[in-house]
Amino acid sequence: MSSQIPSFFSNDIVLHVEGIRKVYPNGVIANDNVTLSVFKGEIHAILGENGAGKTTLVNIIAGCIKPDAGEIYVNGKKVNIDNPRTATKLGIGVVHQHFILIPALTVIENIALSLDSGFKLDLNKVREKILQISSLLNLKIDLNARIEELPVGLRQRVEILRVLCQNANILILDEPTSVLTPIEVEEFFRILRNLKEKGCSIILITHKVKEALSISDRITIMRKGKVIKTLTPKETNEEELTLLIIGEKQNSEFISLTEGNNKNKEILLLVNNLNVKGDRGELSVKNVSFSLYSGEILGIAGVAGNGQKELIEALTGLRKPESGTIIIRGENVINKKPKSLIKKGMAYIPEDRIGRGVILTMSIAENAILKIFEENPFSNKTIMNRNSITDYTQKLMKKFGIIAPNPNIEVRALSGGNIQRLIIARELSYNAKILIAENPTAGLDVRATDFTHRMLLDLRSKGMGILLVSADLDELLKLSDRILVMYNGKIMKEFNRNEYDIYKIARLMLGIEV
Amino acid sequence: MSSLKLLGLYRALFAIILTFLITSIFFIMSNTNPILAYYYIFVGAFGNINLIIETFVRATPILIISLGLAISFRCKVWNIGAEGQLYMGAMLGTITAIVLGESYFTFPIAFIMSLIGGALWASIPAFMKSKLGINEVITTFLMNFISINFIQWLLAFPFKSPETLFPESDRIPNSSILPILIPYTRMHLGIIIAFLLILPLIHFIITKTTFGFKLKAIGENPEAARYAGIDVEKILFLALVISGALAGMAGFIEVAGIQFRMRPTISPGYGYTGIVIALLGQNNPIGIALASIFIAAIINGSSTMSRMLNQPQGIVDFIQGLLIIFVLASDYILKYMSRRGLIKL
Repeated sequence: MSSQIPSFFSNDIVLHVEGIRKVYPNGVIANDNVTLSVFKGEIHAILGENGAGKTTLVNIIAGCIKPDAGEIYVNGKKVNIDNPRTATKLGIGVVHQHFILIPALTVIENIALSLDSGFKLDLNKVREKILQISSLLNLKIDLNARIEELPVGLRQRVEILRVLCQNANILILDEPTSVLTPIEVEEFFRILRNLKEKGCSIILITHKVKEALSISDRITIMRKGKVIKTLTPKETNEEELTLLIIGEKQNSEFISLTEGNNKNKEILLLVNNLNVKGDRGELSVKNVSFSLYSGEILGIAGVAGNGQKELIEALTGLRKPESGTIIIRGENVINKKPKSLIKKGMAYIPEDRIGRGVILTMSIAENAILKIFEENPFSNKTIMNRNSITDYTQKLMKKFGIIAPNPNIEVRALSGGNIQRLIIARELSYNAKILIAENPTAGLDVRATDFTHRMLLDLRSKGMGILLVSADLDELLKLSDRILVMYNGKIMKEFNRNEYDIYKIARLMLGIEV
Repeated sequence: MSSLKLLGLYRALFAIILTFLITSIFFIMSNTNPILAYYYIFVGAFGNINLIIETFVRATPILIISLGLAISFRCKVWNIGAEGQLYMGAMLGTITAIVLGESYFTFPIAFIMSLIGGALWASIPAFMKSKLGINEVITTFLMNFISINFIQWLLAFPFKSPETLFPESDRIPNSSILPILIPYTRMHLGIIIAFLLILPLIHFIITKTTFGFKLKAIGENPEAARYAGIDVEKILFLALVISGALAGMAGFIEVAGIQFRMRPTISPGYGYTGIVIALLGQNNPIGIALASIFIAAIINGSSTMSRMLNQPQGIVDFIQGLLIIFVLASDYILKYMSRRGLIKL
């Protein structure tokens, strides 16, 4: 792929978009006169809040969406990218925020699918190609693993390999680090630098200011569909960028978090010697024991794929544990169905907002009452009361700042931040005492993240017990009263707030005993 | 919401237009004027009051079946076994009616037994689906052959009427026969039951009840539904059983309104036609009512057309097959066109 491209940095513009405009049928101006250039061999970050129009721009360049106006030039030539295939042929490869891999197929098969290999499927040839590229970039991956068995970080690596195998030399990555743990991010950045050295141009869509500063050669800031400014990291800093991203706003909007006190605690959730099997039948959660108190945030730190998912699913009734006890307020709830756990006061903010958190093709109102529709006044157990549902949702939208014209809009029209607000609103719709938050700010922008953090702290002060499972160590350090480090299905160690040590925790996350 | 309903309408109309266009090619190839053919189909279905009633007579069983199928299709349970469920319901209803003889209770009890017959037969694949995770498309479909052959045997031996030469049951008691509402026509009470009782009832269940809400939630995202505390397996089971019960009811109404005896030919594939109608009606009861009248009209009208123009009646199956294909394809095509900005949805 990259062998034809000279590996020195040159100022050749490989991709140029001019005056891109896109208005969605619901009147949202997603892109307004967007103009930007990408040089050969540069990492170009596009920085902006959720809903700033970054993803729309990516989709236009990738040929998934037709712009209303504007031109695209690749290698100086004007092109008409009318479908994703054209984009691929032009050497544009996109790794979307939501991966497009087939879970039941292996890594090789998934990559082979996206290559034009003619009539005969020659997996060995595909394997050779993948190995060639992956060794060039020092990317390690088990080619025979099925996608569903891989943690998110590795799935992303497969996505990157897939587009590289399609000979992409312009790589667009949409919020790539939102699913990665800090250590994975470092590894991921190493890959990006490698790619850059090989002459690839990389467009990095992100809302994380720090990352944009640390990795990119140039940064373009987008806000409300417009390009605000393009800068190099040297001529700017974190504060300036943050201001450019959010526009006119007072700093007081963003809280600083302080340690709260949590006396007169009550044990809400007691987990004892819990063993849970994963999808492949392997033991994923091994003899895990902990207790969650009222009015505290208990963090679970760990690299994705170390049993957190299985632990959460066992706690929420979605997966049957092998052995152990889960006691909620004195009652063993092991093997109980989700509904009875919900009745016992268990709330859950899932990481997979799209797949598990909401039903995209149903309305905001229908999603808002998804857990309480059998209660008064939404229904009398049998017959639904649409009016009270609509009224309730309208109030909820106001209270939680969910922005949409009306409660009957389908959820798929909402931005990621609004969807998260909706999920939080719903999880607080019944008097839950225990909240399991699974990477609650993954993929959210500064403001939505701040909203989520405030919400969690507010709930803590109201006496809720919160289990915060996060791959974002900063988030855990900031919010949790205690941190449990999980590695390979086991709890390695518990840290109290006064003994937090980022290096110790990070090393334990990697299984290195301290 | 409204744009979605509109999409459903577009989809159905789009499929119907495409089907007629393709069918026209075949009419032209056999030297027949397609306009004339469609004219005769229309006249054959709606030409006079008697023909209109016959169209409704035809629409009745397929309406009831497809309303049931809509319930299971809404939660993405693909019940292909309505045909077999219809036979089991009709058979159990008929046997009950014959055993009870003349009485006030004969019809209601036989009617309920027909629901139970269809429901029980559907409960077997429903159990396999919800407890064992076995694909219902295969089980429901294959069970059709079991039930139809089983009933042929029942009618040929244990329940064969001594009065006739054919493999058919005794005539059901007069008190279990659905009354004719307009003399000298086949306008029986079952038509009213289907259009004025079952149709509004299913519409109510789908749009206004928590059960209908659960069906939709599961159909759109079973993972989210399970996480929200909905007992997904239970609802899948119920949906399949309810659709079986309605198919059974359709069978018995056919016996009690038209045939008066259980026969192995009682359904010319209504269970499969119901699938076409549920798809064409987008699992929406109103759409399904329109679609069942439309398909009934094509079935009835085609026989007139075939007599007038000397064309094969098999055109009915041809049209139904094309409709399925185009309803399924139209979704894709319309969305594609809208994404490209060719049409506005």
